Amino acid sequence: MSQQTQKVERDLTMSRAMVEAIAEEMRDNEEVFYMGEDVADYGGIFDSTEGLREEFGYDRVMDVPISETAYLGAAVGAAQAGMRPIAELMFVDFFGVAMDQIYNQMAKNTYMSGGNVSVPMVLTAAVGGTYNDAAQHSQTLYGTFAHVPGMKVVVPSTAYDAKGLMHNAIRDDDPVVYMFHKRLMGIGWLPAPDGPKTPVPKEDYTIPFGSADVKREGEDATIVTLGLHVHRALEAAESLAEDGISAEVIDLRSLVPLDTETIVDSVEKTGKLVVVDEDYRSYGVTGEIVASVADESLAALDSVERVALPDVPIPYSRPMEQEVVPDADDIAAAVERTQE
Amino acid sequence: MVPVNDLQEMYRDMVTARHYEERLQEEYLEGKQPAFDISAGPIPGELHLSAGQEAAGAGVCQHLRDDDTVTAPHRPHHVAIAKGVDLKRMTAEIFGRETGLGKGKGGHMHLFDPDVNFACSGIIAEGCPPAAGAGLAAKKRNTDSVGVAFLGEGAIAQGAFLESLNFAAAHDLPVVFVIEDNDWAISMPKERVIDVEDGAKRADGFDMPGVRVDQDDAAAIYEAADEAIGRARDRNGPTVMEVQVHRRMGHFMGDPESYRTGEDQEAAQGRDSIVRLEEDLRAHGIDDETIDDLRDEAHERVEEAIEWAKEQPEPEPEDAYEDMWVNPPSGVTDSEPDYDLAGGDD
Amino acid sequence: MSGDTDRVEVTLDKWPDDADSDEGVVVNWFAREGADVEAEESLCEVQIEKVSVDVLAPTDGTLAEIVCGEDDEFERGDTLAWVEP
Repeated sequence: MSQQTQKVERDLTMSRAMVEAIAEEMRDNEEVFYMGEDVADYGGIFDSTEGLREEFGYDRVMDVPISETAYLGAAVGAAQAGMRPIAELMFVDFFGVAMDQIYNQMAKNTYMSGGNVSVPMVLTAAVGGTYNDAAQHSQTLYGTFAHVPGMKVVVPSTAYDAKGLMHNAIRDDDPVVYMFHKRLMGIGWLPAPDGPKTPVPKEDYTIPFGSADVKREGEDATIVTLGLHVHRALEAAESLAEDGISAEVIDLRSLVPLDTETIVDSVEKTGKLVVVDEDYRSYGVTGEIVASVADESLAALDSVERVALPDVPIPYSRPMEQEVVPDADDIAAAVERTQE
Repeated sequence: MVPVNDLQEMYRDMVTARHYEERLQEEYLEGKQPAFDISAGPIPGELHLSAGQEAAGAGVCQHLRDDDTVTAPHRPHHVAIAKGVDLKRMTAEIFGRETGLGKGKGGHMHLFDPDVNFACSGIIAEGCPPAAGAGLAAKKRNTDSVGVAFLGEGAIAQGAFLESLNFAAAHDLPVVFVIEDNDWAISMPKERVIDVEDGAKRADGFDMPGVRVDQDDAAAIYEAADEAIGRARDRNGPTVMEVQVHRRMGHFMGDPESYRTGEDQEAAQGRDSIVRLEEDLRAHGIDDETIDDLRDEAHERVEEAIEWAKEQPEPEPEDAYEDMWVNPPSGVTDSEPDYDLAGGDD
Repeated sequence: MSGDTDRVEVTLDKWPDDADSDEGVVVNWFAREGADVEAEESLCEVQIEKVSVDVLAPTDGTLAEIVCGEDDEFERGDTLAWVEP
């Protein structure tokens, strides 16, 4: 007898897709729980837990004191005991007060124990600027988290990716840092661009880590980016197409592990590499991507452009913030420079 | 007994702060309709207003001099006003203008006024260590100035606060920690996330006195602060004070406060420390005309500051690259000396 | 063949208690025109003052027509869309 699957075509915002995955995992496994500041009644400052407390109660959707080191460390401990906590940094910028628990405990215990201990937790964190929240509340810090060994790092840019990556993150026995961009979530007071809201299947599915996604195919240049800038790059590619330049846009989706193969394949096709990053320029993602490609396929590289935040704290005032955060025009200009 | 002059000055500071926050709320909401877009309008980004907490700033800062250091958290305006921060330049900073305290780079959560030794920071409890540091400097230099850190009741959970208490006690520093208890850490009520009802009890574990002031009462705060700051000035060590205040508006502008019951919000509205201080003033023989004059002056001052700020130029985009360093990146020198470092084998 | 008379209107059933305003904005549509929908499913999200509220499907059926699209303003009681059961 054939099964009548109820096909519901619907689009979700990135926050709803992320929450849907978390809810499904929590229904499936009692040992999954969420802890963070304002995650219970408020539903997460950036909507990361909207509706979860109503379904799962205060025990499994836990408000915690403003004690990042204590509660992130507690997540490490609970994970080591076999539970599957999801612990949230309200703003990634707050990692400073808890970095030891993150990079010395969560990230290193598996290795230091020779694989005898695992830390199956997810560290979620809201990242990004463009809404004038100044230097201590607007960072992405992709480079910081990708740099220290021992944690997987993923950065969804669409609702579809957000759900698949979250299912994988929760099921993975390794610690996963899940960085969600505030502007992509679809929050009423922080309007998202058009891109992140995508069709999302109702069933659960996983997206493997270390798998970049070609969001737009092209022949003339390779744009490698992540998070909000996937959408800015797609915007740039649209306008470049009008000028006869066909740009390929690769969404990294995962920093650790990094899908170098997809990037190298693309650069071998186009010869021109433009890396776009909302983190600081020096010692970060742009340098890493360029170096990785140079390592594997130096001859393929005709030209390189790094488009990133300059090495300054992010300024509050609108004209200055707009200046330092790359926009679609900046990306298009960089691509044009590679064509000279 | 609070000297009547002090009562009047506190009243002036408090109505200035209240009117300031109410006006900022209006300015902030401009341009953010119909759907609330946080990055639109003349004041973009987050804004945390202190309506209802004025007594804490006024009651404590009434004892402070310009050379005393104050650090405040993300909800700083009432403290800044009471400390004597340049109101025009503070307002220009909030509006992101070039002539703001930080040239538009810091914004409302990161106000620095070195003339009166005031600073605030957006990371919870991170003002505590620098306040202790100001006390450390005062002690080393043998002056009688003090450091005061303001923080919220939720912040007593943060490591920086606890470490600062130990540090201040172990080194016997002239610091006062002022906890403003408005009962809410964004949407988390105090009883959900803090282990004690009285945050001043934190002091018990740290070899320093702790005092709680319960009544949302500027005069009572003044008296407790008199003792605490006096202790510090006399080089008798640090103190923790917790003062009850209330939050009349949301955590940040845009917060619909759906987690807060109507009763809670109404109860907060009914505990106005400004109204209470007016009663105190009258009890001291101050007539209504004087009170009205103080209030009118305060309103005028606020209006002047806001008008001035709105006329200030916006920064140039390229200004974003300046003010990274005080010295040129190469430090104090451009060149290296020319030594012959070869040889010398012994 | 069913006519338009069967269509069920989609409106915001419960206006937020503490909202002073009678106006709102549609911020997100989740279901597309022509899609099958289930009763109680979130069809779209609207914002009234600062509160976000989900608008639910009144019945199983097909989302026949969207009347208020994203970023459109509407008033209390307005029809936002039609569902054909």
